[in-house]
Amino acid sequence: MDRYRGRLAFDAVHWGTHCTNCLAACPYRVFTAGGRVVYEEPAGNLAQVEPGVPDMNPMSCQKGAAFSEKLYAPDRITHPLRRVGERGSGRFRRVSWDEALREIADAIIDTIDEEGCESIVFEETTEGGLMCWAPYLRFASMIGAVTLDGNGLINDFLVGQYMTFGKFSGASSVDDTFHSKLIFLWHSNPATTSIPYHHYVSEARYHGAEVICVAPDYNSSAVGSDTFVAVRPGSDAALALAMCQVILEEGLLDAKFVREQTDLPLLVRSDDGRFLTARALGDGGAADDFYMWDEKDGLTRAPRESLALGSLQPALTGSFEVQLSVGGESETVKVSPVIALLRERLASEYTPELASRVCGVHPELIRELARKAARLPTKILSGYNTPKYYHGDLMERSMVLLLALTGNWGRRGRGIQGLCVAGLDGYFLFNVKSKPGLAQTEQIVAGIAGATSALREKDPGLTDEMAGMQLLQSATAQGTAAPPVFFWYHHCGYREVWNNREWNDPEMPRPFDDYFAEATEKGWWAGVARPGPESEPRVLFGVAANTLRRTRGARRQLLEKLWPKLRLIVSVDWRMTSTGSQADIVLPAACQLERPNVQYPLTHSMRLGFSDRCVAPQGEARTEWEIFRALSEKVAQRAGERGITEFRDARRQLRRLDDLGQRFTADGAFCDEESVIDEWVRDSAVTGTMPPGTSVATLREQGSVRFTGMGVFAMGLSVAADVAPDRTLTAFEWHVQRGVPYPTLTRRAQFYIDHPWFLEADEALPRHKEPPAMGGEYPLLLTSGHNRASIHSVDMSNRVLLQTHRGRPSCVISPRDAAPRGIRDGDTVRVANDCGSYQVHAKVSGAVRPGQLILYNGWEPYMFAGWRSSNDVEPGMVKWLHLVGRYGHLRYLPFNWQPVPSDRAVFVEVQRSDDERSRAPGARSALGAHPLEAVYANGEKEHV
Amino acid sequence: MAGREKQMSESPSPVSAASRRSVPKLAHQLAMVFDLNKCIGCQTCSVACKVLWTREEGMEHQWWCTVNTQPGRGTPRDWEQMGGGERGSIPVPGHLPTREEFGGGWDFDFQKLFYGGGGREGLRPSSGADDWGPNWDEDQGAGDYPNSYYFYLPRICNHCTNPVCAEACPAGAMHKRAEDGIVVREEGRCRGFRFCMEACPYKKIYWNHVNQVSQHCIFCLPRIEQGVAPACARQCPGRLVFTGFLDDVEGPIHKLVYEWKVALPLHPEYGTSPNVFYVPPLAPHRLNPDGSLDTQTPRIPIEYLERLFGPLVGGALGRLRGEIEKVRAGASSEMLDTLIAYKWSSLFGPFTKDPATLAGAAAADGATEEA
Repeated sequence: MDRYRGRLAFDAVHWGTHCTNCLAACPYRVFTAGGRVVYEEPAGNLAQVEPGVPDMNPMSCQKGAAFSEKLYAPDRITHPLRRVGERGSGRFRRVSWDEALREIADAIIDTIDEEGCESIVFEETTEGGLMCWAPYLRFASMIGAVTLDGNGLINDFLVGQYMTFGKFSGASSVDDTFHSKLIFLWHSNPATTSIPYHHYVSEARYHGAEVICVAPDYNSSAVGSDTFVAVRPGSDAALALAMCQVILEEGLLDAKFVREQTDLPLLVRSDDGRFLTARALGDGGAADDFYMWDEKDGLTRAPRESLALGSLQPALTGSFEVQLSVGGESETVKVSPVIALLRERLASEYTPELASRVCGVHPELIRELARKAARLPTKILSGYNTPKYYHGDLMERSMVLLLALTGNWGRRGRGIQGLCVAGLDGYFLFNVKSKPGLAQTEQIVAGIAGATSALREKDPGLTDEMAGMQLLQSATAQGTAAPPVFFWYHHCGYREVWNNREWNDPEMPRPFDDYFAEATEKGWWAGVARPGPESEPRVLFGVAANTLRRTRGARRQLLEKLWPKLRLIVSVDWRMTSTGSQADIVLPAACQLERPNVQYPLTHSMRLGFSDRCVAPQGEARTEWEIFRALSEKVAQRAGERGITEFRDARRQLRRLDDLGQRFTADGAFCDEESVIDEWVRDSAVTGTMPPGTSVATLREQGSVRFTGMGVFAMGLSVAADVAPDRTLTAFEWHVQRGVPYPTLTRRAQFYIDHPWFLEADEALPRHKEPPAMGGEYPLLLTSGHNRASIHSVDMSNRVLLQTHRGRPSCVISPRDAAPRGIRDGDTVRVANDCGSYQVHAKVSGAVRPGQLILYNGWEPYMFAGWRSSNDVEPGMVKWLHLVGRYGHLRYLPFNWQPVPSDRAVFVEVQRSDDERSRAPGARSALGAHPLEAVYANGEKEHV
Repeated sequence: MAGREKQMSESPSPVSAASRRSVPKLAHQLAMVFDLNKCIGCQTCSVACKVLWTREEGMEHQWWCTVNTQPGRGTPRDWEQMGGGERGSIPVPGHLPTREEFGGGWDFDFQKLFYGGGGREGLRPSSGADDWGPNWDEDQGAGDYPNSYYFYLPRICNHCTNPVCAEACPAGAMHKRAEDGIVVREEGRCRGFRFCMEACPYKKIYWNHVNQVSQHCIFCLPRIEQGVAPACARQCPGRLVFTGFLDDVEGPIHKLVYEWKVALPLHPEYGTSPNVFYVPPLAPHRLNPDGSLDTQTPRIPIEYLERLFGPLVGGALGRLRGEIEKVRAGASSEMLDTLIAYKWSSLFGPFTKDPATLAGAAAADGATEEA
């Protein structure tokens, strides 16, 4: 037993959190001995927040338990590498840091000199925590490079929530789930993907909540549910809308909530489908002044300063006549509240019986769930699965509509889960500060207050949140962030893909290019559509960004079309990835636990998680701060030597290169992680997101710090809730309990989008549309979801975790689909469609819906034969409507409104890979063979 | 089974164990309860154990704590058909599980993958039998869609009251500790006969092919003796692993097992009286062929659960469902409040010490082999 006792020996204990892209900030204790991590485990030091609500301990998962394996793993990069063979040949040689940095600096200077700084492109990532992210963004902004919007790249943008709320930050703290009495696990599989938090679901169930799992397959979250709703993949909008129909039909509507919080009482014109506006009425108001029909006083301008209606009682039914002023002439037009249009639509197309034919859920079950949602505090725990569907926006809008009609957000235990980055205002301040210290911080905070007042003078209804968004938009116009859709279109060959009519919504009225051209000509994306067609990309940086793994269609589009244009590809990472193996220079970065770091601050846990330098970096690895500091110095040095000391960027701004080194550190003040983090948290105390006196020493003492406020920036304000030390956080309380308007066009939760493109597409109201035939006409529908054993690809190479599954990528197929194809468990199969094909190990499971094929996300292409992976069959389609810009809240904001590519519901065929019979594109069958489909076989043709 | 019911309804005396040479008079018996309704199959317990205890050469395939999808073949593959244990005090012959049956223990050749000349074969296990592993049949389960069913079953050594493994050891290398009933092995005395592996009906003993000794879960003894909960329990994000003394009548384990009778041993018919108990799994309603809810037929066939947890499982599930209905109707339930574990530390009985407060290196220096 002594041998085992010795295993527990350590000589120091440190704080560590793993800063992976789960964005959880689990406080871990890291035990080290002799300069090595020997083991680690959750600290379990979180105090109970609200009496009667379980505490958040321990916050852990298997990836955390095995994290330190990575430090000493065989895929670790310990020295700078320079490619010596062809790209991707696997032939590298060790070079010195100086040699590597000099080559990179020269490539940067050459590119600035020959093509311009916009030809230098950084792929943003949310991997690695803020000390991975901040250094390269600081460097990129100094040289005027383009940074591709991380959320556009990875597509965790909840499009439909954004369209409805003007944000997708309805992210209550995870413990708020304990207050729920009806929990929908819908488009998410939290038992697999939210491991540290999922206990709140099982505990809420023991506290009286019913748990409803809505999913096509019997997934790990279904196991702990009360009702498994076996929905046909891609049909969730139909299911949600049918529940909405029941609410309206059975008089279960929360009319007060709907009148006050939503656009449903606003009047829409019958002639053109647009909202009735003050401008159309000649009422002296603006194009964004909208109207209701008060049951007593008739036509009434909707209040803009507050959601509170006072004595107003807007009509929720009927149609009315109003006099418009058209070119001085009066014209009569009929108007109806949005909800009247909705009611009509639902009654004619989404009765439970009609919807059941689409979604495969029994009408009585639909009714029962709707009645429960109307009666109980209801929460939808959705994840980031919806935006990966082509029509995910429609699904989300429909799901939120259900919550609206039942008054289910803004109060404890209610709402839909989004994401809110908040609590570390110092991070945002850092980007505008030129020097350290609180004096400048106070100036900036005063400046924000002043700017907000100035904006409010022009628009008295403007909330702090809206003002914050406007300020962020102005900053973005000067910044580096760009939605990647333009880069992909102009430089990576996606133009051809997106113009494939067959892979788009068959209801798309015009070719994709028509819309792209219109959006460009009208300037909807002016200033952020970078690099433009005239700026060929030349240098590509990926810092912990595994571009070739995560981009839909990457091998085909990026390796074949983008790579040849690039002068230099740099991968900065602690491990060799599928992308690093195709790079020219690979720089060894420090891993977590080798440098001070903080995780992205989220309202999920309400804590900033700290990770210390527990051990020195392996080999010659350096932290990202050191790397970009050294690169700044090297560029400055080479610029001086080459006589290229300044240049003008595409915005005609003069930029200097010869002082980059000084500017990077603010003349030595920000020499390392410690100094930067200290600045962030001290500044956060100034704006009130952290307790007074918080410093890096506080983090080092406690491991994490609970937020005390949501600060002064738009991102924090958008959760619209007060922070109390002894209460769970409930998103959108300010809207519901104080009548604070939403940052949307109508300043209400908006279910009607009256933009001409949406009207043309018949998507002004939420509706169901079938997934388009992405990939071609094939019988199986490929879906995905986060992998249990890995956060994206980051843990895929962990030798311990590889043993917790089959040690290789595997797709999961129903026995009903496997048998006719002669596929047995363990066979290697080929998955193919018109885009391409890959081979993969097959798992046969009755938990999968017939007609569905699952390949979980995150497998490295290098784990597949020929390094051809799921992205070989993904076209990476974007939905044309998301190119709308500058219309109310439909305008670019980093991490927010922008087109994002889909990968769920790609159509494929599967065959045993030893069975190379010619693959005949089969007719696209009904999606799956749910027993209901037989029941309704005599019904109408499916809604395809 | 009435006798069995009676036996379960009474608090056991910790000293009631059979008068066997490996079982001294016990002061206490350590036990665990795993609440399967909170288990999400995340493998944190198994990985926490793996990383802490079985990373040395010869232990590649050893997972003292495993989590398997049930129904399934588990690990080692088809272990429930391997015999061992006792029927009516008569030992049942058992199979000696092989490394291949445990599976896993794979290595991977990253050097060749990245720098080996661009073969692009794709990463594959480069050692060990690659057709089975400790969690090979994850999420497969049974049943026909949409009435598929499965759940997760974490397993460690049961530290049985009747340790047939110890009885089978001719070298006398194993015994139950008098102070807490942990079944310990003095590896220095193990002569590699592996009769323990044959005798254990749960197949939770592994062969170290390098050191030529058998090895099994040590109930994190070096932690327990310092007041720290075992790694599998303490790292569990689902907050479902209760650790403590079975004979602590005020503790949650005693209440769950004896008072509320909602925690049951796995395969009680194996005759070893395990000290690990399970709150059996509920499951969502089945769907009728027309898609409507079937609220009468359980999704997981009761026969299957009885095969795992014995004839008392139906009653346990009934009591659990009854409490849930009660709470949904607005009442409170001490049983469910216990399972919720409002305070995380309430899961761990007397073992609530923070490992970071241990004396570190001193923990090793001051230790001596127990008698």
